Amino acid sequence: MASAAGVLPTAMPVPCPARPAVSPVAWLVAPALLLFVVFFVMPFGVMALLSVLSGNPVQVPEVELTWRHYARFLGDDLYSDALWATLRIGAVTTAAALLTGYPLAHWMARLKSRLGHALLLMAVIAPMLTGIVVRTFAWMTILQDKGAINTTLIGLGLIDKPLPLMYNEFGTVVALVHIYVPFMVLTLTGVIGRIDERLEQAARSLGASRLRAFWEVTLPLSMPGIFAGSLLVFALSISAYVTPFLMGGTNVLTLPMLIYQQVSSSFNLGFAGALGVILLTVSLVVVVAYNHVLARLSGQEGLT
Amino acid sequence: MNAPGFDPGRAAYYALNGAIIVFLLTPIAIIAVFALNPTPYISFPPVGVTLRWFVKFLATEDFMVALWLSLRIAVVVLLLSMLIGGACALALARGQLPGARLLTAFFMSPLMLPAILTGLALFQVFQLPSVDRPVWGLMLGHTLVAVPYVLRTTLAVLANFDTRLEEAAASLGAAPLRVFYEVTLPLIRPGVIAGGIFAFIVSFDQFPISLFLVPPKGETLPVVLFNYMKFDLDGAIAAASMVSILLALSVVLLLERIIGLKAYVKL
Repeated sequence: MASAAGVLPTAMPVPCPARPAVSPVAWLVAPALLLFVVFFVMPFGVMALLSVLSGNPVQVPEVELTWRHYARFLGDDLYSDALWATLRIGAVTTAAALLTGYPLAHWMARLKSRLGHALLLMAVIAPMLTGIVVRTFAWMTILQDKGAINTTLIGLGLIDKPLPLMYNEFGTVVALVHIYVPFMVLTLTGVIGRIDERLEQAARSLGASRLRAFWEVTLPLSMPGIFAGSLLVFALSISAYVTPFLMGGTNVLTLPMLIYQQVSSSFNLGFAGALGVILLTVSLVVVVAYNHVLARLSGQEGLT
Repeated sequence: MNAPGFDPGRAAYYALNGAIIVFLLTPIAIIAVFALNPTPYISFPPVGVTLRWFVKFLATEDFMVALWLSLRIAVVVLLLSMLIGGACALALARGQLPGARLLTAFFMSPLMLPAILTGLALFQVFQLPSVDRPVWGLMLGHTLVAVPYVLRTTLAVLANFDTRLEEAAASLGAAPLRVFYEVTLPLIRPGVIAGGIFAFIVSFDQFPISLFLVPPKGETLPVVLFNYMKFDLDGAIAAASMVSILLALSVVLLLERIIGLKAYVKL
């Protein structure tokens, strides 16, 4: 009985499986595995390989191994500045998304009304399903010199000349927060929803103020969600291209922008590869940390 | 214990959340305003209502060619990711694969690794022999980032799935194929379809991979919009944005009807 529990009879013409314990259903993983190996693992291998070669090995037969692309990155402040700008924008975006997302997630997790919950969820998911290009455009119309905020403030006579809301890191971060805060909210809601409300009530009945009960009970218990959501938003915002490009103008240069520049105007595949490996390394550290947090969070549940 | 009447703490809580919701939804409202505002450049406040930007969007051949291409790619991605992702989810949940957890994390990783790097890496593969980038490359690139969505929704359904239903069917004499078609498939269908709809949206809005993989004369809608926005910010972009948003909203409603939005809270 127990041994049969997980075995799903299958339609596949199944070759004899290598291990008797593995169900024939396991073969259904094959198409996904093929796609991921050919279109994901292999290309990243090519990227890493090109980053240490002096040229395109298919077109130029006499290529050699070289560290010069990495040396170029280390040798010019422009590139390390771009890396710092990327990490700084990622960190500020993450912090702002946490401050924006937490109250909303808390409300959503504690809301009793089903309709209210559905409406809130809709408000969070609707922007998520609107493309990045479209949402960046919206922020351009709001933050530019002739945009909604500046014209309104000038119209009210509060300021004389437009505030510099765009073409800088500020505008970039505002738009990035808007784009990635739904991920924060959805991650946090799940975690906060699982915290037993009675713990907070117990603290309050023992005389703690609402703020103190939140600070000493709910907040510490939602830490795993805070970590997971923050890592997710950080990983997403350091890889953003459209938003820094359009919102930052010439004043912001991030690693993804540099990468596309190398491909589109400098045609330097090797250096683009090296920049890619550097960004990938940062991301992998974040992803591993995220999976670690998530695994602890979900205990025996699968990683989803 | 709660003092009756006005509670400043509660009031601040709701005011803060109200402000956050305004922050979330204002950009969408602003786009609607600009899509209907007749002035040739983005300007505020609006001076009237017109449909000329929708007409311009629909009458511009570049936009329409791109829209049509984006829709075709999104449909292919929808079908491919439902097949590949659905099968993969079954294997991961039921195949008793060694290292299924690690494999799941691997299949979910395109969501967390920078899509722009996936685009760069695929670009470099096609650049090695310097061949023209084919449209199927774009489709498979999109499928790669869409599969995790199908995987997530289908795994969520499979996690709440009573395996005894299949055992019961089998013990009553149903052949494995029949058990699959009459028990397993109907039960996982909502998850697969919901994931597929997500896949459609993901592909339709996909930018970073498209940026690297589009052939010069075959750009998808987001890439065309992006290139247009570099030089010009007029109402046509707002109108194009509204079309995308309406599409997304109708998809959200569709999702809600098919499986209920709650399933997506679990990230």
